[in-house]
Amino acid sequence: MLARLASIAALVIACGPAAAQTPEQVKTGADIYERNCSPCHGARMLDPQGAADLKKFPHDQRERFVNSVTRGKNQMPPWGDLLKPEEVAALWAYVVSAEGISGH
Amino acid sequence: MKFTASAAAALLFAGTVASLQTSAQTLDDLKNDGKNPDNILTYGMGYHQQRYSALAQVDKKTVKRLVPVWNLSLDNNWGEQAQPIVYNGVMYVTNARATVAIEVASGKQIWRQTLDWPPETPRVVCCGVSNKGAAIYNGKVYRTTLDAHVVAYDAKTGKEIWKSKAAEWKDGFSLTVAPLVANGVLITGISGAEYGVRGFIDGWDPETGKQLWRHYTIPARGEKGNETWPQDNNAWQLGGGSAWITGSYDPDLDLMYWGIGNPAPWASQSRPGDNLYTSSVLAMRPKTGEVVWYYQFTPNDAYDYDACWELILAELNVQGKPRKVAMQLNRNGFLYVLDRSSGALLSAKAYGKVNWASHVDMKSGRPVETDIAKSIRAAKATEHWPSTRGAKNWEHAAFSPQTGLLYANTLHEGRMYKHLDIKEHKVGERYMFIENLPLPRSAGEPIGHIEAIDPLTAEKKWSVPLTDFQMWSAMLATGGGLLFTGKETGEFIALDADTGKQLWQFQTGSGINAMPVTYTHGGRQYVTVLSGIGGLYWNIAREQLKDKVPQGGSVWTFALMPD
Repeated sequence: MLARLASIAALVIACGPAAAQTPEQVKTGADIYERNCSPCHGARMLDPQGAADLKKFPHDQRERFVNSVTRGKNQMPPWGDLLKPEEVAALWAYVVSAEGISGH
Repeated sequence: MKFTASAAAALLFAGTVASLQTSAQTLDDLKNDGKNPDNILTYGMGYHQQRYSALAQVDKKTVKRLVPVWNLSLDNNWGEQAQPIVYNGVMYVTNARATVAIEVASGKQIWRQTLDWPPETPRVVCCGVSNKGAAIYNGKVYRTTLDAHVVAYDAKTGKEIWKSKAAEWKDGFSLTVAPLVANGVLITGISGAEYGVRGFIDGWDPETGKQLWRHYTIPARGEKGNETWPQDNNAWQLGGGSAWITGSYDPDLDLMYWGIGNPAPWASQSRPGDNLYTSSVLAMRPKTGEVVWYYQFTPNDAYDYDACWELILAELNVQGKPRKVAMQLNRNGFLYVLDRSSGALLSAKAYGKVNWASHVDMKSGRPVETDIAKSIRAAKATEHWPSTRGAKNWEHAAFSPQTGLLYANTLHEGRMYKHLDIKEHKVGERYMFIENLPLPRSAGEPIGHIEAIDPLTAEKKWSVPLTDFQMWSAMLATGGGLLFTGKETGEFIALDADTGKQLWQFQTGSGINAMPVTYTHGGRQYVTVLSGIGGLYWNIAREQLKDKVPQGGSVWTFALMPD
């Protein structure tokens, strides 16, 4: 938990206030996640089963996240033709949000 | 019945005579599949889908001499689930990427046809990028493709003869089913209920690929059955009802039996009513797609209790009378026995832990739901048994007419299940709206079993608990008193059908989630299985399996080491 807080702190410092996630983004991201991502990555990221555990996704690797979602990675198909860049950004907002972290 | 050496010789002789006939396989060949042990022409090793062979060269005593005679890589990491087809010394196998013809005697690849589909296609495949196998008829090999096409190849050369589009994958449709050829028609069922499609079964002209009929599993407005859907919304158009496991067929009654999948979305608030014909069986005419009777296992299914599983046909003695039955180890936890000429319910007994219903009312044929069901329907997080994955998933059971028992790899799993608010449908995207979280497991509690089950009482003659990994491989029963099946950790195993005791195993190099078969070639009994971890269980348990089991598809064929 401390490490996670530290990494969030690092992200906030690295990106500055301009990159802060808005509650609207987090809500949009949660909806997209619930519909399209939870079947493999688990409800509220709580039960990733065979897919990547997004709760452990490093918060300083936004670009890797965006690339993987957009182009696909391993068994995950690409989503770039379905999700707009701002929707992928919303997903990222959800993944790194307090809501994502606490599983609510 | 004791299977004697002379009976085996007679079977072998019959096989030789049949293989001398050079004509292509006919409807009679398909109907008689199982009688000529050199060939396996149908899904389920016979239209009845018993997955039973009378062959007995490999038996409880000789199985210790069972050794691999060849292996062929399938160059595929997506997983192998198919049942091989064998005709006149040539084997045909499929996966999501390719169709391969192999010389049975040597394991040599004769031809290989690869398939290409857009990399986005797996988005509309809920449960494993795979294929369940080919069909063969009149010199052609038929298969379905992930992006919802049906293809015919020349059996000798692999040349594509026709390719027909069943549906648009971007709309949420996919095809993984092995086709059925019945009464001269090629039949396929669609996948996609997790994406809010309206399911259907198609009949195709095997010669040209022309669509002969389409039967939607959900009736349209004005058609009988549509009144079981809300009349004030379009739930019926998004209602699911896939048909992704090959139907069985009774040529005498000219009826095929297709299990129909779950309704969409899984959360049930938007679709009060029975939601016909989801989670049902349809008895249909292959020529026209006409439905002669139906039986619904789970009315207003709120649990993903897909009824696609194999409907095994057999003759059973029911209260002193021989009955032609269709049996199903339904996902909802009950083992159903139906009269297959009328659809009358003969028996429905729980074969696993069930808490959503107390029993099936034999008069109405309906499950009697409990407070657990009420809690789920009230959108409360609820401990639910069996989980949405069922008391058994697709891994097909075998039925031995020798013992009268079903043999199956079953699941023992409950989950914390909750319906969420239903949101708008988006074409080609998931349409489920549920949460499904794991329950704490007490140490040593099994997660599945290998079981011998009495069809009419659901009592277990024996039961082998599994505590490490579930088994998602089909079962094969033989006249040698053996069962063959496979483990996700790669072991292909033979069990004593009388006790469940493991007698033999071989490590195939990747996980097994496919369908073993047995047949003869040149007088020797062969056993073949595909190895290659994939499918839903790989999605579920990859984290625990990935360091134990490498990916990679291949075909393994075994026979007895000569003295």
